[in-house]
Amino acid sequence: MDTINRANPHPIGYVVGGGLEANLQVRLTVPPQEVQEGSFVVIDSGGWRFYGLVTDLQLGSTNPRFADEQSEERLPRHLAELLHGQTLFTNLAVMPVLMLERGPEPGTEEYRLWKDQHPEETQPVTVKTVPSHHSPVLLADAADIAQIFGEENNQEIFRIGYTREQGHPVCLNLDKFVKRSSGIFGTTGSGKSFLARMILAGLIHADRASALIFDMHNEYGPDSTSSDTGAAVPGLKGKFGAKIRLAGLGARTSFGKLNADLSLEIAQSDITSEDVLLLSQALNLNETAPIVLSALERDFGQDWLHEFLSMETGTTIEDENGKSVPAPNSVEAWAAVGNVHPKSALALHQRLQRLGKSAYLIADPATRGLEQIIEDLEHGKHVILSFGKSNTELDYLLVTNLITRKIRDHWGNSTENFHAEKGKEPRPLVVVVEEAHKLLNREMASQTIFSTIAREMRKYYVTLLIIDQRPSQIYDEVMSQLGTRISGSLGDEDDINAVLSGLPGRSALRGLLSKLQAKEEALLLGWGVPMPIPIRSRRYDNDFWRELLGAQASPKTIEEGNKVLGFDSDDTD
Amino acid sequence: MSGETKILIGKLLRADNRAFVAGCRTKELIAPALGALCKVRLEEGLEIYGLIGNIIINDDSLVRQLVSGISIPTEYTEDNRHNRNLPVEISVLCVGFGQDGKIFHRLPPRPPLSLDALYLCDDAELVRFTSAGRYGYFRHILRLDDQPVEEILTAHLANARLAHAQHGRADWYTGACQELIVLLRDDYEGLMNVLNALAELE
Repeated sequence: MDTINRANPHPIGYVVGGGLEANLQVRLTVPPQEVQEGSFVVIDSGGWRFYGLVTDLQLGSTNPRFADEQSEERLPRHLAELLHGQTLFTNLAVMPVLMLERGPEPGTEEYRLWKDQHPEETQPVTVKTVPSHHSPVLLADAADIAQIFGEENNQEIFRIGYTREQGHPVCLNLDKFVKRSSGIFGTTGSGKSFLARMILAGLIHADRASALIFDMHNEYGPDSTSSDTGAAVPGLKGKFGAKIRLAGLGARTSFGKLNADLSLEIAQSDITSEDVLLLSQALNLNETAPIVLSALERDFGQDWLHEFLSMETGTTIEDENGKSVPAPNSVEAWAAVGNVHPKSALALHQRLQRLGKSAYLIADPATRGLEQIIEDLEHGKHVILSFGKSNTELDYLLVTNLITRKIRDHWGNSTENFHAEKGKEPRPLVVVVEEAHKLLNREMASQTIFSTIAREMRKYYVTLLIIDQRPSQIYDEVMSQLGTRISGSLGDEDDINAVLSGLPGRSALRGLLSKLQAKEEALLLGWGVPMPIPIRSRRYDNDFWRELLGAQASPKTIEEGNKVLGFDSDDTD
Repeated sequence: MSGETKILIGKLLRADNRAFVAGCRTKELIAPALGALCKVRLEEGLEIYGLIGNIIINDDSLVRQLVSGISIPTEYTEDNRHNRNLPVEISVLCVGFGQDGKIFHRLPPRPPLSLDALYLCDDAELVRFTSAGRYGYFRHILRLDDQPVEEILTAHLANARLAHAQHGRADWYTGACQELIVLLRDDYEGLMNVLNALAELE
């Protein structure tokens, strides 16, 4: 670090003013086109190296008249150039973020003394002071970026992209990434699902955490084709084989040419009244539903749903007096005995029929899908749950919430056991939620388990990875808990504000975020990255897989994938 | 300084620390020009450098009489050139001094004395004086408020540019322009006047 031979030792400017609160002002000494908004710069001053981000470029003049008059038309070119060089200038606004103590000039006696006092490698810290006036400002080189973001090791230090101008690699520390909940945002087509796939591939390859992916559109597991380019897009299953378990919701979920590793069928007894209340909106339940549900649970315990759905409606029998009364197995009869308003009970019964018709929600499932998923996750496998044909909002809400609730209970217990020294340390788990605003919007967030996970579950080794295109629809409290935020281009002002919520330097970053290119550019932000930085994201292509998995993993077809899994392609349907 | 070309252009009439005036005969007014670098050598090895800022030809009652006559015979004009007992006045702006072989762009410690000889500097000396320091003597010119600064500057820079092109630093003129822009960048009018005058040199 101390004797870096800089690839480009020429300063681009020098510090002329500013501060911590209001960005540093840097007078540019090179043409403005050589620097872009979002450039990562370093400033050496008094034994410290400061790291900052260019957040704005502003044209200035010593006197506005020099800018107003087109003096190049009046003066010889040589004089006009000299005049412009002295009177017209560009100032950079640089947001200082980190600083690193480097000590006196290496090779000097002072440096040796300082090194004796600081034998360990110094680490960058949040910026607490400013560089002096006229400190030279340089564009960061690959070594500077590696110093801050780490050097790729094809394990937990994962190359996520490159700096935009010079293409230096920028890495993400996956260990840190999974320690807190995180989010990937961007409008449709901004490449967020490719980014998510790459990060998941990195996570699975690094084997640092298990991943449970709620795959609403069936795009993570099987190979698919890009909607933009029509090129083949490898799925995770084909690349990681047995490490990935494809779970289908219900018995007949199709994964193209791949077979499901397990079918998830949910016992009706697993559904609690809270699960149903969560669906109030989707099921259009009325206000009396909670009373009826609580009466049902009181009378039938965990079998309430099965019992309730098997009741009939409108059937009557004649009593001993010849009077027509509700049949014993009717909703009305139960309502009369249970002291519930019959109309409310009937209304709920009618609404819950939608659940009764679900292919995956059955009275007595043949498999233990739910337990199997948890077991797989606990043993280091990764589960992609595809919703197949059951991909309505209702299914999504019900199933994700149910599974996640089970996970919360299970990981909570495991962590307590671990702390009581009765078990091993739980395996970190990342729950990947697409279309997260459906589960984490203002109304739902208080009811679903996800906001609890976002807030507290990192202590229990469970974090969320939220993938969404409308971050403004996600409850603020959840957004503010997100450690790492990776955002592609966002058009809406509210979405941009939401992504930046709770972060320092919001106003400076807002411009950066709003000007990202529609494709392949992203801004890394938040606790999980040492400092915000815009990147050109790595491409999700064959080179990516070759670099990640090595030469033996060069493009696999689905057939090859099936062979690895022990299936003959003839057997697939 | 041995070996230097000495062109006597006048004798001192009056002086102060900032400027002095030399006189010469009307017939001798060929060598001195606006913006030229000249110097006065004092007894104790002190050399005072100046730029010619103005050349004044005064009238007298004879000239007034002649001018108001119907015609002036040629011999009268010729006589006036040769025998006139009123000198042409050469105003010189002090821009620095030399002492012990070093050049300083500060005002001299004391002015030259009456009847001291004023010499024109040659190209080598012009290069030597203008190369010292970083164009510090410009401030003496820019300080003037009763003389056409841009004209004196342009006349001087035209000479110096030529001298440097032949004997000195090729980038001297660019550096001079840059320095002027830096010094005058807060005075839009002043700077544009200078630059417009300099534009004629291109």
